[in-house]
Amino acid sequence: MTSARLAPLLAGILLATACVATSGDARVAVQPPDRGSFPAVADLLDRRCGTLDCHGVTYRNLRIYGREGLRLASTDRPSSRPGTTTDAEYDATFESLVALEPETMSAVVSQAGAQPERLTFVRKARGAEDHKGLAIWAEGSPEDLCVTSWLAGKTDVATCQRALTTR
Amino acid sequence: MPRAPFRASVAVMALGTMAIASCDPVHDSAVAALGDETPGVRQGPLHRAGQPCGTCHDGTVGNPRSFSVAGTIYVDEHDTTPAVDATVTLTSANGASYAATTNAAGNFYVEPAQFTPQYPMAVLVSYGAAFVRMSTLVGREGSCATCHHEPAGPTSAGHVFVPADGVTP
Repeated sequence: MTSARLAPLLAGILLATACVATSGDARVAVQPPDRGSFPAVADLLDRRCGTLDCHGVTYRNLRIYGREGLRLASTDRPSSRPGTTTDAEYDATFESLVALEPETMSAVVSQAGAQPERLTFVRKARGAEDHKGLAIWAEGSPEDLCVTSWLAGKTDVATCQRALTTR
Repeated sequence: MPRAPFRASVAVMALGTMAIASCDPVHDSAVAALGDETPGVRQGPLHRAGQPCGTCHDGTVGNPRSFSVAGTIYVDEHDTTPAVDATVTLTSANGASYAATTNAAGNFYVEPAQFTPQYPMAVLVSYGAAFVRMSTLVGREGSCATCHHEPAGPTSAGHVFVPADGVTP
């Protein structure tokens, strides 16, 4: 093909792709997991994933706030005292987690938690995908069941609390 | 190929690699942020108490010897009196453990040949009759002061100390 013929073709491709750009105001409706029962899951994430050297830092995509690591209020500091994670911290962690892959999470939630491994954070925690912190827990473990039950809309609070006691 | 030019090429390549390796502005700024040595304290086991040891002791060519885990333990939450002869017990995810003892500055350090933890790592500190177990596990960071720095606040638990009642604050 000569360069004279190629130039209009390339220009056409460029114009076509320029016209399909997504609007900056585009919105995607998602079905998030249950916020009401999230504290049971968040307390586990705080303990196992949210230390200040891992996801308890503000520059991570997955930012976990809570009493044992990163605090939201400037007047708070890490503490081992149970029950001191604030609602605002649960909200911040929830938003961070849901915003990682909102469309995929929505798909998992709307299908009653089917194939949770579609979510990167589930795979990373299981060690099924490269993770600096390696495998945090195994598939089917109390920790894993806590998270997957939440994604299925049936948060197993007792299992979450049991998972908190394991190290 | 004549031997002398070959050696010269290798030497130039090695120098170039070292030059590139030494140009890490992020690392350089982290080191600069630590400030100068405390007057009267020589570089050595007693220096820079409370600072993140691994910033310099990271095993990079040209830096001081590498530490796998290191930090400083204090007696009290509210001042910086060092906890001398405190025992820091580190336990790897694979169950292996290592006990280090703090020196006159409250510093302890572990070299990779002595112990390289498999994370997550559990930490127990004992000082006299008191002890404290870190409530969370360490996920990846070998320098205590990366998370336990002054002042305590939303991003720091404050310096490591052993409360008399053995309860983590």
